[in-house]
Amino acid sequence: MKDACQRYLEEPEAHPGHLAECEQCRTLFDTLGLQADVQPPPAGALPLAPWEGASHRPWPLVAGGALLVLVVAAAVCFWAGVPPLRVVQSSFSAMTTARTAITTWAESLRQASIVAQIAFGLFFVAVNTALVMLLRRAPRGING
Amino acid sequence: MGRGRGLLVLAIVAAMLVTASIATPAALEVRPSDLTLAGGLAMLQRTAVILSLLFVWLIAAVVVTLMSAREVRYSSVELRASALHCFALGLVAITSFVLTAIVFSYFPSVIGVPLLIALAVFAIVTKIYGAIAVFHALGTVVAGARSREALERRRWLRGDLAMVVIGVLLLGAIRLIPVVGTIVWALMSVMGVGTALATKFGRREPWFLAWRPAES
Repeated sequence: MKDACQRYLEEPEAHPGHLAECEQCRTLFDTLGLQADVQPPPAGALPLAPWEGASHRPWPLVAGGALLVLVVAAAVCFWAGVPPLRVVQSSFSAMTTARTAITTWAESLRQASIVAQIAFGLFFVAVNTALVMLLRRAPRGING
Repeated sequence: MGRGRGLLVLAIVAAMLVTASIATPAALEVRPSDLTLAGGLAMLQRTAVILSLLFVWLIAAVVVTLMSAREVRYSSVELRASALHCFALGLVAITSFVLTAIVFSYFPSVIGVPLLIALAVFAIVTKIYGAIAVFHALGTVVAGARSREALERRRWLRGDLAMVVIGVLLLGAIRLIPVVGTIVWALMSVMGVGTALATKFGRREPWFLAWRPAES
């Protein structure tokens, strides 16, 4: 193998005309079943990748958005007479409601007939089987 | 294979029914008291609470995006690529959370309570992360650049952080609409939970190891 061939094989983009001149390299590529004349498409023609420009941090937009929401929330809270404690209470009340509902359902299931308990068990197994089957599917999204 | 798929569809329909019965809030009912002055004040107070929580969501979304932007982006891409799968997975997962919580309530308190706490923490983390992925997906669909030239021209409306902020503001505005907002937010939560689990919180690793016999 000549030096030119070696250089081409190491860095094909740097020596684009070599393949047209060198019979030996063309034979090698044909033997290996490689397509050497395929040119990569220009980067500008490719679709925009999700990661392009993703690391940009527009702090004025973030600060503006946060300030807008804060000012509107504070104004409406002041107008409606809602103390900040009420906001915290409301977020906890949803969790308390869910906890109460689950406790109630568990208690009513405990007192239900054996058939109902078996049906619940079968439903539990079916739902979790479906969950496992859905979780086994590999993500389809393109690489970001 | 066909029977397995049929069972899967049946399980998803059952999960939808259970989730719908759980998720249907009392807020969907139009009460006569809403039309009075006191009802109007109560609605205003609800709006104030929603706006305050929206601010908390915005801060949480910014912090999580700064900490793990790539993971949020992966989940957002997955949500846009297979929205129906994420929705189905979210429905089944929420139903599974509820049923598992009921099963844990059966256990003695010494075992049951720690398990319930662990399940609640997992569910809350899944919901928060998933919601942020939905914010990112919505922001990208609405305000994302379509071409490289458009991206380069933009000064502020680009990057993960901008997409998340746009998504929070849009979904927050929709959340303020009385009945529609509640439904849209509930659907968003289901999709969020689905996309968080489908991508394993953006890590895109399999949840289960595949079994292969050892080679001799």
